[in-house]
Amino acid sequence: MEMKMSTHFRILILGLAFLATVGVRPVLAAEPRVTAVLSNSETDVGQPVQLEIQVTGVSNPKPPGEIMVDGLEIQSAGTSRQYQMQNFDISYSFTFAYTVLPMRAGRFTIPALEVQAGGQVLRTPELILNVAAPAGRSSNAGRGSSNPNVDPSQIGFVEMILPKSVAYVGEMIPAQIKLGLNMRAPVESLGAGIQIAGQGFTTQKMTEPRQTIENINGRSYQVFIVKTAISPARSGKLEIGPAEINPVVRVPRGAPRNPVMPRGGPFDDPFFNNLFNDPAFAPSMPKEVHLKSEAGTLEVKPLPPNPPADFSGPVGTFIMNVDVSPKKAKVGDPVTVTATITGRGNFDRMTAPVLANENGWHKYPSSDNYKQDDDVGISGTKTFETVLSAKENKQSLPPLVFSFFDPVKETYVTLRSDEIPLQIDGGAAATATPAQTTAPAAGNIPSAAPTSTPPPPVDDILPQLDDRTASQSNFQPLYAQRSFQLAQLIPLLVLLGFAGWKWRQARANDRELRRITRLQQEAAEAQRNLHKNGSSAQEYLAEASRVVQLKTALATNVDANTVDAETAAAAFRLDEATRGRVQRLFAQRDESRYSGDRNGNDALSAEQRRDILELVENLRG
Amino acid sequence: MNLFLRKLRGVFLALVAVGVCDALAQAPDAIARATAEYQAGNFREAVAHYQSAIDAGTRNAALFYNLGNASYRAGDSAGAILNYERALLLQAHHPEARANLHLVQDKARALQLRSTWWEGILARATPNQFSIALAVSFWLAAFCFAAWGLAARRSPVLFLVAVLALLASGIAVGVLYALETGRHGQAFAIVTGEKVQARVATADNAGSVLVLPPGSEVRILSTRGDWIYAALPNDLRGWIPAESVQRVRL
Repeated sequence: MEMKMSTHFRILILGLAFLATVGVRPVLAAEPRVTAVLSNSETDVGQPVQLEIQVTGVSNPKPPGEIMVDGLEIQSAGTSRQYQMQNFDISYSFTFAYTVLPMRAGRFTIPALEVQAGGQVLRTPELILNVAAPAGRSSNAGRGSSNPNVDPSQIGFVEMILPKSVAYVGEMIPAQIKLGLNMRAPVESLGAGIQIAGQGFTTQKMTEPRQTIENINGRSYQVFIVKTAISPARSGKLEIGPAEINPVVRVPRGAPRNPVMPRGGPFDDPFFNNLFNDPAFAPSMPKEVHLKSEAGTLEVKPLPPNPPADFSGPVGTFIMNVDVSPKKAKVGDPVTVTATITGRGNFDRMTAPVLANENGWHKYPSSDNYKQDDDVGISGTKTFETVLSAKENKQSLPPLVFSFFDPVKETYVTLRSDEIPLQIDGGAAATATPAQTTAPAAGNIPSAAPTSTPPPPVDDILPQLDDRTASQSNFQPLYAQRSFQLAQLIPLLVLLGFAGWKWRQARANDRELRRITRLQQEAAEAQRNLHKNGSSAQEYLAEASRVVQLKTALATNVDANTVDAETAAAAFRLDEATRGRVQRLFAQRDESRYSGDRNGNDALSAEQRRDILELVENLRG
Repeated sequence: MNLFLRKLRGVFLALVAVGVCDALAQAPDAIARATAEYQAGNFREAVAHYQSAIDAGTRNAALFYNLGNASYRAGDSAGAILNYERALLLQAHHPEARANLHLVQDKARALQLRSTWWEGILARATPNQFSIALAVSFWLAAFCFAAWGLAARRSPVLFLVAVLALLASGIAVGVLYALETGRHGQAFAIVTGEKVQARVATADNAGSVLVLPPGSEVRILSTRGDWIYAALPNDLRGWIPAESVQRVRL
């Protein structure tokens, strides 16, 4: 038991010792300290020095605020942090960097600066900076005018590459210009671009620079590659170049040379001499640097004598295709000839191919369109469109001829297209001389009909006409003229009247038809009643006379109620006997209607009824 | 107040009437002066007087023909072609204008728009004739349909006549549309500028489509600012400065 207690006690002691080791050491190590140093206490006006404030032993120091010293421009250049852990011992180190740029000569004191660290306020020591006025330079030079001594060869280089040294006049020679700028000198702009010095040649428009990064002799360069083409304009020995450029780059603000760096070594340049090699910390300023390449030499030979007649100056290698549209046309109609020339050479000197035989054709000025296949425009396709109009009937388009000088074969080449069949008609037959325009002679106005004898050719316009008696005309077509549109109201009104009349007629016809139908139905009904035996004499006579009235009304188009015996007899043109029977019928009806019951059923025998029925049924118009 | 307004209106109408009458009265004088200048060999002055008569509202084929002659004599082939075309537009069968037009077009090497085969057929009649044909056939169809629809007994012959007349009016409409949008339609224009180039875009340095000699025919398709987009004689299309082109129709 005692043994156990002793073991537990020892473990407890070891644990406390461990905790004391781990926990107490940081507390002992957390003693904040601050130091401040200048990279150089002696400098010239415009020559910056570095101020470093280093704080150790605390994890979150707060840097001093803006540092104001009259005659010095002090700007923050960044903060670097360093953490180190060793045997559970963590150490912190913060470095606040500043650039101190003297604006004038004198002795300056950078006062003690306050740094807040771990709840404490630490103070840096005062620092003294002696600034001298540089020889040959004004002591009040501005910041932007400070000019560090920079060797352009350390900034970059320019190379001009010409693929050949011998060429012909007018030949296109591709050229490549390579501009390399040290990565330590960030490029702000390429200035006015690359210029190629020299005389006796022309330069194509330069391409947009293509950018790459190359490592040359251990240094990284931002490389700009520009392409162009050079065309000699005269023979002889030409000096091409040098290619020159004035890029604007950012260079350090003239930091003193670092004595640690060996002279002449790859690191012996203003960038590496900087105490703080990282450009993020190094102060810099824009500077225009003049860079140029070495000049090249070109031996230019003249073109051989006796060129083809149609040669206009193209030098290179070309092929030609020709087409014409339309293939069928009338005499005088335009046809478009399209000549497509593809190849490599000086397209700017190229003119449209010519017709081998222009007889019988009107040729108009050509238009052209160039489509380049490369960056600099020495390879591509040029399309010429020429409008022709035939003066006479034609069966084919003559060949087109195009000549150029081939610098590879060193001879002139003439391309000749095939004849293209086409059909142009509608004019006089082809003659050896150009067709003359025909117009009727003055006072001899041609008729529309063709005449057997053609009018004599004249070459002048017909004379003036008397225009004082001419009637006023209108450019607007008839349908668009207001008077014509208003005139359409007349047929419209006539149409409306016609339609109304037809409609009224139809309605009237309809009313008459309905009246006739009604009368026919009533007459048929009355006749059916006459065949029945159950009716009284008065009713029978009334029905019979009504039938006569209805039939008369149907025949004469009169009101049935107004029909009497005479009207019926006249309507049916009855003879005297039948007229008398009709008159008796109407008289009996009236008698029976107005005499009361004295004339009953017995007053009208069956024979009389048959006679009346026969009379009624036989009435026909 | 009403009386004052009525008087004011009366004065205004009187001024307008006087102005119109004055303009119309000036036209014969201008034509007479133009004729005299032409006969005296002062062609530019003749052109100016003819133009003033046209500006005063006079429109007839003979006037435009004479203006074309004066323009030609003054060395303005494009103006001559433009006015011969105007004369032919007002009077399609004007043999003198047609003869002079062909002569000047040939001399100026002016490019002409290509006619389609149906335009060649339709050119035998004028838009005015087709307008009359349209009106007649339309109203015939309308009357026939009305008579057929309102008749007690509907005649199939009448219906057939109505349908045929309606068909004829439809054809007339189609022909009028084709003529108005065709070669010599509303968009017909003449190049009056020198060294005019039709271009692929509305810029002086844009690629050239066709060089148009003065007097060449184009058909205006649209307008954008100072440029017009036109159908060209070689069946292509291009942009032309607007001030270089004049429409034939006034």
